[in-house]
Amino acid sequence: MDFSWLSDPFYLGYLWEGFVNTLWLLLVSAVGGLLLAVLVALARLRGPRPLAWLVWAFTTVMRGTPLLVQLFFFYYGVGHLMEGVPGIQETFMWPLLRDPFFFAALTFILSVGAYSGEVIRGAMQSVPRGELEAGRAFGLSGFQVLTRLWLPRAIQLCLPTLTGEMILLLKSIPLVSTIALMDLLQAANIIRDETFLVYEPLLLIAGIYLATTVVLTLVLRFVELNFPGMQPTQRRWLPIR
Amino acid sequence: MTSSLQHAFRPRSSTAPAVVANQLIKHFGDLEVLKGVSLDVPEGTVTSIIGASGSGKSTLLRCMNLLERPDQGELAIADEAIRFDRNPQGDIIGLDRRQLQRLRAKVTMVFQQFNLWPHLTVLGNVIEAPMRVKKLSRKRATALGEHYLERVGMADRRDAYPAFLSGGQQQRVAIARALAMEPRLLLFDEPTSALDPERVNEVLGVIRGLADEGRTMLLVTHEMHFAREVSDQLVYLDQGNIACSGTPEEVFADPRCRQFMAPAA
Repeated sequence: MDFSWLSDPFYLGYLWEGFVNTLWLLLVSAVGGLLLAVLVALARLRGPRPLAWLVWAFTTVMRGTPLLVQLFFFYYGVGHLMEGVPGIQETFMWPLLRDPFFFAALTFILSVGAYSGEVIRGAMQSVPRGELEAGRAFGLSGFQVLTRLWLPRAIQLCLPTLTGEMILLLKSIPLVSTIALMDLLQAANIIRDETFLVYEPLLLIAGIYLATTVVLTLVLRFVELNFPGMQPTQRRWLPIR
Repeated sequence: MTSSLQHAFRPRSSTAPAVVANQLIKHFGDLEVLKGVSLDVPEGTVTSIIGASGSGKSTLLRCMNLLERPDQGELAIADEAIRFDRNPQGDIIGLDRRQLQRLRAKVTMVFQQFNLWPHLTVLGNVIEAPMRVKKLSRKRATALGEHYLERVGMADRRDAYPAFLSGGQQQRVAIARALAMEPRLLLFDEPTSALDPERVNEVLGVIRGLADEGRTMLLVTHEMHFAREVSDQLVYLDQGNIACSGTPEEVFADPRCRQFMAPAA
């Protein structure tokens, strides 16, 4: 095992940039994707029928095709088509449309929106009807029932599943190394190409992913444990018997 | 009982009924659950709806705050006629949502399954509707909430979450939640049916206290003795019709009524 390259500030710079990009992409995709997921769930449950069908089709396509194919589709396909739009190179949109980060974030947001949308829809359906009925019976508006009662309860119910979705998202991010975005895997690839060391850089970034996953799990577990109204029996740090 | 929708349009007085239902008809699919039921609950009185399972008791109660929308008939809550949208045949096809939300604030409900909001504390449950619907400040709503929690003997658990309470305690909180809206009419939908037998009395005690205070209440219950004791008016529902009604003395004295109630009592 040769880790002497770690003392090279050049490689450390790549790794740091890759790590920061990975975290940024995780944050943007998680926040954007979960917001989209709520809209997806709502459209499926309460939207007008044509919208519900459209969203169902969206969900099916996003869940039924490989993430890597989607990433290529948006970056090479849509990105390339955009280049041909007359005048677009002069607009403020242009730098964004050439940025692999933009297409990576777009792909992940749509993907999280589809997967987590279904999770949230299921959770919303399993909130006991009586709780929502009580809201209506006391004169709360439909919007108040949604934001004060229905969504908080649904998110409470599916938090452990959403944690899993976020971990899967984190580990989908290395796919972006294929569209020339500097993430951790891209940094490892560069180090491999220059030092001819295959395992060491991979081992290092695997360790970084593992550590990030543990931190992410603990953070989301903290949210879960501090969610108001938690059942007393479920209050354990590690969900292990 | 003479139904008197015109009462609803009189200036508000202490004798105007809190709710007037006239010829309510309700279907679930092909099943006619209410077959033209008329009922009014005079201000300051307690009415109990009794009857076998499936007789339409809960449906009738749930029509009173429009958790169920009747298919036909008229309804007035707190001196205000509900503005139903009707098709040319007179069937109810919709209603005025703004009016509905306003009137629901005046008719609150205690459910069989309590239906507390598990992600809110006891106090949070009680002040939610006063704050969001009546737009009271948190301070005023809290004062009100504490008052009514005191009233049902739950003030010391104000910061607990519902999952940490027994069924009887949850139901008492649910009663405080209904009281905190200071409604014209309180609806109780089998409030003790989901409770362990040893918890029934603590809830019935609270309801009896409210009756003694002169609160206007409409109660669906299987507790026949309790209904007889606290009610000013008993309504016996049989297969979607009022089979029998009157004061408890009248109902229990009338041989025809007794015959209806024999299996239930």
